[in-house]
Amino acid sequence: MLLHLDFASIFAAPNVKHLLWGVQYTALLTLTSWVLAVALGTVMATLRAMGNPFIERLVAGYVAYHQNVPMLAQLFLWYFGFPTLLPEGAQGWINTHGSEFIFASIAIGLCMAAYYSEDIRSGLRAVSAGQHEAARSLGLSFTKSMRYVILPQSFRIAMPPFINHTVVLFKNTSLAMAIGVAELTYTVRDIENQTFRTFEIYLVGTVIYLAVSLSLMGVGAAVTRHTRIPAK
Amino acid sequence: MDNYAQISLYLVFFSTKNMTSKSLAMQTEPINTSSLHFKHPSTEKRMKLSNKLTAALLGLTLALLAGTARADQLADIKARGTLVCGVLANFEPFGFQDPASREIVGYDVDYCKGVAKALGVKPVLQVVSMEARIPELLQGRVDVLAAVLGYSPARAEQLAFTHQYYVAKQVIAVKTSGPFKARDDLDGKRVSTIKGSSNIAIMGRVMPSVQLVSYDDSPSAFLAMVQGKVNGFVVSEPIMHRFAAKLGPDTNVAALSPPVGLEYWGLGIKKGEPAMLDAVNNALDGMEKSGEAQQIFDTWLGPKTIYQMHRDFKIGSIKG
Repeated sequence: MLLHLDFASIFAAPNVKHLLWGVQYTALLTLTSWVLAVALGTVMATLRAMGNPFIERLVAGYVAYHQNVPMLAQLFLWYFGFPTLLPEGAQGWINTHGSEFIFASIAIGLCMAAYYSEDIRSGLRAVSAGQHEAARSLGLSFTKSMRYVILPQSFRIAMPPFINHTVVLFKNTSLAMAIGVAELTYTVRDIENQTFRTFEIYLVGTVIYLAVSLSLMGVGAAVTRHTRIPAK
Repeated sequence: MDNYAQISLYLVFFSTKNMTSKSLAMQTEPINTSSLHFKHPSTEKRMKLSNKLTAALLGLTLALLAGTARADQLADIKARGTLVCGVLANFEPFGFQDPASREIVGYDVDYCKGVAKALGVKPVLQVVSMEARIPELLQGRVDVLAAVLGYSPARAEQLAFTHQYYVAKQVIAVKTSGPFKARDDLDGKRVSTIKGSSNIAIMGRVMPSVQLVSYDDSPSAFLAMVQGKVNGFVVSEPIMHRFAAKLGPDTNVAALSPPVGLEYWGLGIKKGEPAMLDAVNNALDGMEKSGEAQQIFDTWLGPKTIYQMHRDFKIGSIKG
């Protein structure tokens, strides 16, 4: 079968500019939701390790909800549902300050936080109890022993799933197009709609996603290698 | 040439018609008559049959010699006694399944029925999909498309448009409580659209300063406008009214004038059928004169419906 590819029409100047805007939005959205997800995930994993049964159940509930409700539904809930609870003035402010981007970051960030917290929890459990006891017996507080002894080790152990979920987070930012965030997939569809060169533009989109995903994995692998705890 | 082809086709038509009825009689005969008497009438019939067969073959050959011979479509439809209309079944209020009667009804369907009545034939509804409607017509599976078919020069290359029977307005819907009173108040503002809709291109042409935010489907795009996430929503007028009717009494939505675009809908027929085109256009003009066109509009879109629209167009040729 012959495929007649026509990249000339999709690589016209306005389309390239449009596409680059999309890449920029995807990158920004990945970054904001990643920071939120990692911070929240770490906090939740730590809270859970404290051993308070009430907090433990609370975090478990959070994780169960965010892992089992489709991310698209969560996006809609944050974008269309949550703002109606806000006072009129706050709604107006957020609507004029990029509510699509803000709520997309929150929804993706909170959802992926559940996955990260599980990654870190598995890392925490892999650090032997002796490490914790040793840290405490040296006079470190719970927070300090976490900060200086336990978490650094567990992050290293949890690195591979952590990187996987970062790639998942990056790819999931494309869901934000449903609420009008002009990220990469949104612009790809826009250009498709204008040029009708479906195959070509999706090929370009695929290559960009693949390149970024592979780079993330490469960087992740390098970081894992450099921070690995040497075998005794 | 055309007449020649037609005559030869008629020849085929009549001879084969007689032949099938006779051959049916032949099959039943052995049951009614004894085997002794069977031979005589049957040979007589066989001779007649062979004559007819020859005539038919001759006619067919002539028809083939005449090239792409075919009776004109109007004559076909009249001979058949039915007009096959391609209609949509998921596009309220133009063509949709009535939940109570399970029948396909709507604005487009009534036009199909009106045209069939004027031609003196029975309407037959054939449900088509939005994507496949034009191929269905071109491959002759339907005689007429009454399927929300908007005029465009590109489409007019493929099929013939009859006179317009509906003019669709693409409007910007806003909340009446907001500050926007006329279309151009929205210059530089945010307006929602549906991904892949033709409105994106229209807006780029008519109001290039507007920042478009496109959503996956019309309910999302509408909700974004109602919640104030965007200032307006570009949509076709009937759809706007349908959504607005679903809102509570607290929120009012209105279309800003002027519309951003007009789409002229015509019935679609095959190209190269001038007699058919004339007949359908005459039928449509007749519906305008008799008041049937107004009545159809009022039934589906008029002030007593949720759409509350007023008819401000007449049936007539599409200006293109």
